Amino acid sequence: MTRWYEDIEIGEPFPLGSHSFTEAEIVRFGQLYDPQYFHVDPEAARYSQFGGLVASGWHTVSIGHRRMVDALFAEEDRLRALGKEPGVSGPSPGVNKMSFKVPVRPGDTVTYTLTVTGKRASNSIPGWGLLFNNIEAVNQRGETVYHAELVGFSKLRDYKMPLKLRLLLALTRLPVMGKVLASRTGLT
Amino acid sequence: MNPVTAQRRHYEDLAVGEVIDLGTTRVSKEMIISFAREFDPFPFHLDEAAAKASLLGGLASSGWQTAALTLRMLGDSFLNKIASMGGLGFSDLKWKKPVMVGDSIGGTATIAALRRSHHHPERGIVTIDLDIRNQRGEPVMTMQLANLVELRDPSAPEVGQ
Repeated sequence: MTRWYEDIEIGEPFPLGSHSFTEAEIVRFGQLYDPQYFHVDPEAARYSQFGGLVASGWHTVSIGHRRMVDALFAEEDRLRALGKEPGVSGPSPGVNKMSFKVPVRPGDTVTYTLTVTGKRASNSIPGWGLLFNNIEAVNQRGETVYHAELVGFSKLRDYKMPLKLRLLLALTRLPVMGKVLASRTGLT
Repeated sequence: MNPVTAQRRHYEDLAVGEVIDLGTTRVSKEMIISFAREFDPFPFHLDEAAAKASLLGGLASSGWQTAALTLRMLGDSFLNKIASMGGLGFSDLKWKKPVMVGDSIGGTATIAALRRSHHHPERGIVTIDLDIRNQRGEPVMTMQLANLVELRDPSAPEVGQ
């Protein structure tokens, strides 16, 4: 969430909204990234195990990601409207698990929900925390389309940089020697 | 018999350890911004200044774009040449290094495991390890993908399992 790491509640479901898939966008995504016959050719798709055209799982997931980014921005706006400073979301280091369950067909509407299942401070990047997120995508019949377990970076609000790191950072701001230090330590 | 896939390689034709060369794809600034606008409109994927100030350190592709471009390479080099029945999902996807403007990504897909479905005798499951690197040979993404593939002869007994 674009809440501060410290304010994120474990287990609280966060609705990300819905998306209705058209045949045209299923075919377009398929042609660009996943041109298997059951993602791009409605006629040939009848011979597949699906019996017709279905969206690439990666399409459903990419749309789910878009719904999440939009929900984060909406949460940011909501916090600002309340006079609060929103937190900072970072990139993701990866996805532990993604299971495609039932296919998405043209006309299906998929509803996405995110739940934070755990969090901890990052070992590799000082000042940031890791969020362990589940995303559940469900169609209009209540069937699970996919289940995902993702990891995301979130900035710590209450982080106090250790004295050693603060000194090192200050030294990297010195001319000449600072540049050498910065390149050696990876600090900028 | 499925006429679309009849002439393609089936489950029986695949072997654990087979390595597929995925070729390479160059990632341009236009591609990054266009994908980000549609699927991942974080400022660090859209705007150079915001990207510099972020953990990525410069304009970089969405991880989902890196994955989608990899999938395209896997489709062209493998999935569209076998009797694929669709993907089951993936695990342990790691974005190891950002893909920056002008980088070329490519790599290999290795068949890590093959097994038959318990419930559907006409289906096999192929597990594929993906190792994606940039033009300097640095790993940018790894994952393990599971995909269904048709058997040519579902009545044949299982061997070597």
